[in-house]
Amino acid sequence: MSGAEVKEQHKISPFLVFYLVHTMQIGVGVMGFQRIVAKEAGNDAWISVLLAGISLHIVIFLMYKILLKENGDIIAVHKRLFGKWIGGLLSWVLIIYFIAMSLTVLRTYIEVVQVWMFPDLNKWIFGFVFLLLVYYCLSGGFKVVTGISFFGVVLPFYLLLTMAFPLYHGHFKDLLPILNHSASELYAGAKAGALPYLGFSTLLIYFPFIKDPAKSHRWAQGGHLLTIFIYVIVMIATITFFSANQLEKTVWATLTTWKIAEMPFVERFEYIGIATWALVVLPNICITVWAGGRGIRRLINVKQRTITIPLLILILIVNSLLTRRENIDMLNSSISNIGFYMIFVYIPLLFIFQLVLYKVRKQS
Amino acid sequence: MCGDCMFQWLKKRHNPDKLKNLPQLIANLKTSGDFLHFKSEKTGTAFYIYYFKTLVNEKELSEKVIEPMGKHKVASLADVKENVPIPGIIITDDLSVVCEKVMVGYLIIRFSEVSDECALIPSPTDISRKVAQPEVEFTVVGSKEAFVESLDKNVHLIRKRLPVHELKAYELTIGKLTHTKVVVLYLEGITNQENVNTVKERLNSIHVDQVVDNSIIMQYITDDKNSPFPQLVDTERPDRAASGLCEGKVVILSEGSPQALLGPTTFVEFFSAFEDYFVNWIVASTARLIRIFAVLFSILVTPLYVATLTYHYELIPSDLLSTLVSSRQQIPLPPILEAIFLELSIELLREAGARLPTKVGQTIGIVGGIVIGTASVEAGLTSNVLLIIVALAALASFTTPVYRMGNTIRLIRFPFLLFAHLWGLLGVVLCFSFLLIHLLRLKSLGRPFLEPIYPLRVKDLKDALIRLPLNFQTKRPIQLQTEDTVRFEKDKNDFHE
Repeated sequence: MSGAEVKEQHKISPFLVFYLVHTMQIGVGVMGFQRIVAKEAGNDAWISVLLAGISLHIVIFLMYKILLKENGDIIAVHKRLFGKWIGGLLSWVLIIYFIAMSLTVLRTYIEVVQVWMFPDLNKWIFGFVFLLLVYYCLSGGFKVVTGISFFGVVLPFYLLLTMAFPLYHGHFKDLLPILNHSASELYAGAKAGALPYLGFSTLLIYFPFIKDPAKSHRWAQGGHLLTIFIYVIVMIATITFFSANQLEKTVWATLTTWKIAEMPFVERFEYIGIATWALVVLPNICITVWAGGRGIRRLINVKQRTITIPLLILILIVNSLLTRRENIDMLNSSISNIGFYMIFVYIPLLFIFQLVLYKVRKQS
Repeated sequence: MCGDCMFQWLKKRHNPDKLKNLPQLIANLKTSGDFLHFKSEKTGTAFYIYYFKTLVNEKELSEKVIEPMGKHKVASLADVKENVPIPGIIITDDLSVVCEKVMVGYLIIRFSEVSDECALIPSPTDISRKVAQPEVEFTVVGSKEAFVESLDKNVHLIRKRLPVHELKAYELTIGKLTHTKVVVLYLEGITNQENVNTVKERLNSIHVDQVVDNSIIMQYITDDKNSPFPQLVDTERPDRAASGLCEGKVVILSEGSPQALLGPTTFVEFFSAFEDYFVNWIVASTARLIRIFAVLFSILVTPLYVATLTYHYELIPSDLLSTLVSSRQQIPLPPILEAIFLELSIELLREAGARLPTKVGQTIGIVGGIVIGTASVEAGLTSNVLLIIVALAALASFTTPVYRMGNTIRLIRFPFLLFAHLWGLLGVVLCFSFLLIHLLRLKSLGRPFLEPIYPLRVKDLKDALIRLPLNFQTKRPIQLQTEDTVRFEKDKNDFHE
C-alpha cells in the first residue's frame, strides 16, 4: 500500500465532481440504450429510465457514506474490512473492471465510427493516436484529467439541442397510455435502463483527490441529476420519434435521430455528432485508465507513469484484436452486468458490512 | 545574489596572474583605442584622468569635473569627493569595482601612477531614443507613450503612473557578457508574494552569457518551454503594464528592451486589447467576442474545408454543394494539397512582408494577394472558394492583439490540416482535443493558464471573454491570488436621486 495521501496541490475543488460523475455516465451508452430499455418497457421506457436514475441517487449516497467513514479510497476500505489478501483481491477485480470499461468504451466508439463514418478505419492507427491523447492527458496528472472531463461535458453540450428535431417531428401521443406496463416490465426496463448510468464508480478511486469531500456530495448528486435529465429527454424524444417496431431494429437510435437534423448550412448531422462524441469518449477513457493505474499504484509499489504505458498498450492490442460484432456486444453486455451487480449488490453489501464492523469494533 | 556571482566571475577573469594592480589594469585598458587618459596639472597637484570616450559625457567631464577641481585646488581623493558636484563618487582600491564601473561610463581619477586607490566619478552619456508612439499596440484613444530601450526611462514611465511607495523594484543583473540590468516591479501588499518569488527565483537561475532582449528572458523563465503558446504577455505600453501592476501582476523590464513582460497571465488575456478598457463595455465585449470567433475561424475553417470535401460532402446541403463542386471542377489536386498550397503562399507573403521594409512590404502584399491569388485560380490550381476561405482565415488571425499569439494561431492550423486529411471531422476533433489538453497542462508562473474557463471561476469571467462595466470590476482576479483582493468599494448608491 503506497501513496494513500494526496498532496494538497493535486486536489480538485468539490464542484468539479459534478463533471467527473456526469461525464462518466454519458459515454457510448447514450448512443443506443433506447432499444434495450424499450424492448422491456415499451412506451413507458422513460419511466424506467427515470426510476433507475432515482435509485442510483441512493447508491451514490451509500458510496459517499462508505468513503467518508474511511476518509480514503475503496482500496483503503477493502484493506480495512477484509485484510490485505482478500481486500487486495477485491481491489484487483475493481481495477480490472475499470480497465475493461475503458476498453469497451474505446472499442464501441471505434465500432460506431466504422459503421457510420469510416468503414475502413484502421483500428491500430486510430487506437494508437487516441491512446496517445489519453497518455498525454494522464501525464498531466489528475487535474488535467478533471479538466478534460469539464470540457467533455461543456463543449458537446450543444448536442442536447439536436433533440429538438425528433421532439419537433415526434408524436407525443405515442407516450400514452402512461403506465400501461406491469411493475415487473418496468423493473426489467429499469435494470436495462440503469446500464448507461454506470461508470461513475470511478468515484471510489478518485475520492481522496477531492478537496473537502463531504461538500462534493451534493455536486455528485447534481451531476447524476443532469444525467437523468438528459437520458429522460433522449428517451422521450426516441419514443415519440420512432414507432415501436422501428425502434426494435434501430441499434443506435440517437445517431439515427441526428439524421433528420436539418440546418441551412448542414445536412447529415450525424457526422458532426459522432466527431464531437470523441470529446465525450476521451474523458471516459482517461478517467478509467487513470483509475486503473492509480489502483495498481496503490496496491503494488510502482509509479503510475510506469504502469500506465503497459496498460495503454494492452488496451490497444485487445482493442485491435476484437473485430467481430458479437464479441463487442458480449464485451458490452458483460461489462454492463458486472457494473450492475457491483453498483446494486456489492456497494449496499459493503455499506452494511462496514456499518456492522464499525459497531462491533466500537463495542469490543 | 547574481551580482555576487558576477563579481566572482570578474575576479576570476581579470585578477589572477595578469592584472594584480591598478597600473596593470590601466595598461590593459589602454590597448583599446577609445580609452583616453591624460595628466592635468591645473590644480597644482598633478592628477590623472582615465575614461572611455565612447561611454563618457565629455561636456560634463570638463564642466563638472575638471573646472571645479581647478577652482578648489583639489589635492587628494577625499577632496575630489567633496568638490566635484556629481553624486555617487566612489573612492576605492578594489580592482573589480574599478573594472566594472569604468565599463559603464565612470571616470577614473588618481593622483599617483603607482597607487591602487582611485576615485570613480559617474559621468555616462545617455544615447537612447526618446519616448515614442506605440507601433504594435497602437490605440486610437488613450496614451501614446511606448517603452523605449532605456530601463530607467521605462521604470520612470511606470512610476509616473503609480506614484505610490508600495511599488517596489527588485534589481538584478543577468548575462556574463551583457550585464543586462533587469527590474522586477510589483506592488507590495497587493501582488502575491509567491508570484514575485517565482519570478525572482527563475530570473536568478538564468546563467547565460548574453541577454539581448526581454523576449530571451521570457523564454528562460516561461513555464513550459516546449509550448508554442506564449505564457507571459509582453507589452510596449506603459499604461498596460501599470494597469497590470494594479491588478496584481508582476512586471519584468530589462535594459535595452522596449517591452515589458507581465505575468501570471491567462489564455483569454491574449485576446484582449488594451483599447477594450477605453471604450464602452458593450463595444469592448463585442470586439472580444469577434476576436475569439476570429481565432476559432482562423484555426478551423481550412481544416473543415479539407475534412468535408475529402470525406463528408454529404454534410453540405445540395444547393451549397453545387457551388462548391463547380468551383472545384477543374482542380486537379486533392483538397489537402490545394489547401496547403494556398496556406503556404499566404505564409510566404506574410513572412516576406515582415522581413521587407514597410513600403516594399505593401507592394509585395498587393502583388501577392491579388495577382498570385487570381492567377492561381485562373490557372486552375485552387478553387476560388478556398481562396476566399484562406484569405479570410489569414485576416482573422491578424485580429489577435498580442503578436506572439497571432503567430501561434497561424502555426497550429497546419497540424489541424493534416488531421483533417487523415480522419475528416473526427481528425479535427482529435487535434482539437490535443490542443485542449495542451492548454490544460500549461501554467503561467505556476497559475493555471486556461483560467477562468477551467478552473471555472465565475467571478473572473467579468473580464475575460467579455468585459463588463467598470463598476463591476471591483475585485482583483482570483487567478492572481492577490493579498488585497478589493480594488475599490462599489458605490452602493447606484441610482442618483
